[in-house]
Amino acid sequence: MGASDEGDAVAPRDLTRPDHLPNLRPDGRAPDPSWLPRQRRGTTPQMIGRYPDYDVLASMPEWDPATAKVVQDRMDVSVEMTFFHFEEHATVRRFCDIVMAQDSEPRVPVAELIDRKLFTGRLDGFQYDDMPNDRDTWHMVVAGLDDVARARHAMSFAECPIADAQRIVASFAKSQLSGFTWNELNVARAWSVCLRGILSAFYSHPWAWNEIGFGGPAYPEGYMRLGPLSILEPRETPGATSMDPVRQVMDSSQ
Amino acid sequence: MRRNFLKGSLGPKENDSRYLLDVKRRDLPGEDTMHRYDDDDEVDLCVVGAGAGGSVLAQRLARKGWRVVILEAGPFWHPDEDWVSDEAGSHELYWTQNRIIAGDDPIELGKNNSGRGVGGSMVHYAGYCPRFHPSDFETKTRDGVGADWPIDYRDLLSHYERVERELPVAGQNWPWGHPHTYPFSPHPISEAAAVLWRGALQCGITMRVGPVGIVNGTFGNRAHCIYRGWCLQGCKVNAKASPYVTHLPDALAHDVEIRANSMASRIEIDEASGRATGVVYMGEGSNTEHLQRAKVIAVAGYSIETPRLLLNSISRRFPHGLANNDDQVGRYVMVQGAAQSAGRFPNELRMYKAPPPQVSSEDYYETDPSRGFARGFSIQTVSPQPIGWAEHVAAEGHWGREMREYMRDYNHWTTIGVLNELLPSADNRVTLSHEKDQYGLPVAKFTHSLSRNDKDNIAFSKKVILDILDASGAQDVLTISRYAHLIGGARMGTSPSNSVVDRHHRVWSVPNLYVADGSVAPTQGSANPALTIMALSSRLAEHVGGVNAA
Repeated sequence: MGASDEGDAVAPRDLTRPDHLPNLRPDGRAPDPSWLPRQRRGTTPQMIGRYPDYDVLASMPEWDPATAKVVQDRMDVSVEMTFFHFEEHATVRRFCDIVMAQDSEPRVPVAELIDRKLFTGRLDGFQYDDMPNDRDTWHMVVAGLDDVARARHAMSFAECPIADAQRIVASFAKSQLSGFTWNELNVARAWSVCLRGILSAFYSHPWAWNEIGFGGPAYPEGYMRLGPLSILEPRETPGATSMDPVRQVMDSSQ
Repeated sequence: MRRNFLKGSLGPKENDSRYLLDVKRRDLPGEDTMHRYDDDDEVDLCVVGAGAGGSVLAQRLARKGWRVVILEAGPFWHPDEDWVSDEAGSHELYWTQNRIIAGDDPIELGKNNSGRGVGGSMVHYAGYCPRFHPSDFETKTRDGVGADWPIDYRDLLSHYERVERELPVAGQNWPWGHPHTYPFSPHPISEAAAVLWRGALQCGITMRVGPVGIVNGTFGNRAHCIYRGWCLQGCKVNAKASPYVTHLPDALAHDVEIRANSMASRIEIDEASGRATGVVYMGEGSNTEHLQRAKVIAVAGYSIETPRLLLNSISRRFPHGLANNDDQVGRYVMVQGAAQSAGRFPNELRMYKAPPPQVSSEDYYETDPSRGFARGFSIQTVSPQPIGWAEHVAAEGHWGREMREYMRDYNHWTTIGVLNELLPSADNRVTLSHEKDQYGLPVAKFTHSLSRNDKDNIAFSKKVILDILDASGAQDVLTISRYAHLIGGARMGTSPSNSVVDRHHRVWSVPNLYVADGSVAPTQGSANPALTIMALSSRLAEHVGGVNAA
């Protein structure tokens, strides 16, 4: 974390400007998320987000029962994993947390959701001809991450320092891993299989919807405010403004 | 003019589906009292696949008194319970049984382009319903690429108009191709789409609202759209058109049986006469084979499963698969290039509101020699939900903290996409893989590579949508390269050496076997295929009903 990130942490941002977007920053990196307001209502991953007063779950009683059940089941996912073997658990959890930058509680249980999907055989409906199926791919990736960590750091992927684990994942994202099970995989496609599963798990969770201000299921009530006069339903709240929320609260309490 | 005056009040003839639907329940009316035929009962028509093609054919011929059975591999939906307003929860709507993908540019299948269950892929299509252009039927003659169809636009015109009333299609008067109007007025559009439209105007690009198969007004018991944006997860409102609401209610009322969870494994041929005698299928929850006998058989499994079924139907007459003695089955399968670019704006736009399909342009549809490639593309607004948007961000290489940062910015973004006409190639084909499915049947392998013309078309179109975003004032852009739609694989032509079916969709060399889906199309234009698949089936029904009167 460089000095500029320290500055980011205290300076409030004007979100009409895109200065926080990685592609527009000189280093291509996102600012440290500490500039974001703490979530005041509802839960977000790591309790940060852009909609501190928004909780999509407050609308849950209005959703149709079938949708509410699917979302509730997702939040109730068991911490017991059945697809991944016991010795794989720590590796797969750490890998998923690094890919989604989940460095503290509360966490969306990404690994557990993927485990459930793979265990029930709900695959995506296609398999590259130079790849094993998605279930075998996941096992090989987990083994491969561990092999690389042991070769580079003489420690398992789950036990090596976080910065080392992050570097291994970065190498995976750039298809720069080789040896071990990696030689039996098309590494770029293996990354895409894993990333697709991880993103689908993370952004299917209502905590992630709170973080990004997504309106969520809207049946039977639908959406009425399509713009330009208003873009917000009564149940939605606007995103964080350029005001520092902490200062805002302090000012209002004085 | 007259059609404009009557907008919103023109109902289709000879299709009562809109009145048969229940206003309070979404179940397909008539399932409980559905007529049941015995396997041994030789029905007039057995259709494989209850999607856009198969449903229209069954509805039309049932109206003529035909006794019809539809075999559908997937489930019989009960939308109130089965469909959810949730991306990850909609997994069962897609054909997610295994398929192998290969080639230089493999095509991801599943949720992107493959449906399963009663209603087919239109249950989860976005809703865009443009017609093909007259030029699409003669690209070889006009542009020296692709293929000429053995039929032309005029053969389909009355069926386009009829199906547009049945869906019904809402949109502005259409200036492109063969100019026409729509039976329903255009929907209101969201600010997320309006921002893009302003950019297009700056670029001198004409855009129009629609055309979408989404009710905008009074249409029997179909409800008006509530702009909730979950078109791709199955419309729980009954506002968006799919055969489930537009043709199957009427089909059931005319004694069609839809036999769900019934996976067709092969078509039986009488070796002496060469006629098809029935369809062998696996019944629900078992691997026991059944044979449904029929006088006429229509395959409507779409571009992957139709070739697979034909190739899996081995007999002495057809040792390399049914109708495949000339090695044409499964060739010329096409997809459309479907790159999308998203732009970032100062204010929140919340693109998840309103149906994803809103405004589109066909300014670049036809060949323009100055562009350096043949044929063209269309431009359409779209609006991915969070998981779709995450895949969009991932396409630029982001993950971890950068992914989260872009995702938190979701409400500031809006998205525009293209549909490129990719040209047919004999080597882009479906063959049988060594892998087997849960029934022990070889699964399909789809090999796909782009041509030079395809790549040039895609590259040019990407620049056009970036220009639109630039003119709109986008502060940042993200682009994803992808593909959409399927078509071809059992194309129509003039002889067995260049095609699988004749101009009336009849399989060469099997007099009572037809293909009734998008796989018959020799080219694809830059239009979304749903409307054309239905119109083709409507025309086929007219022909089959005439020559094979029940």
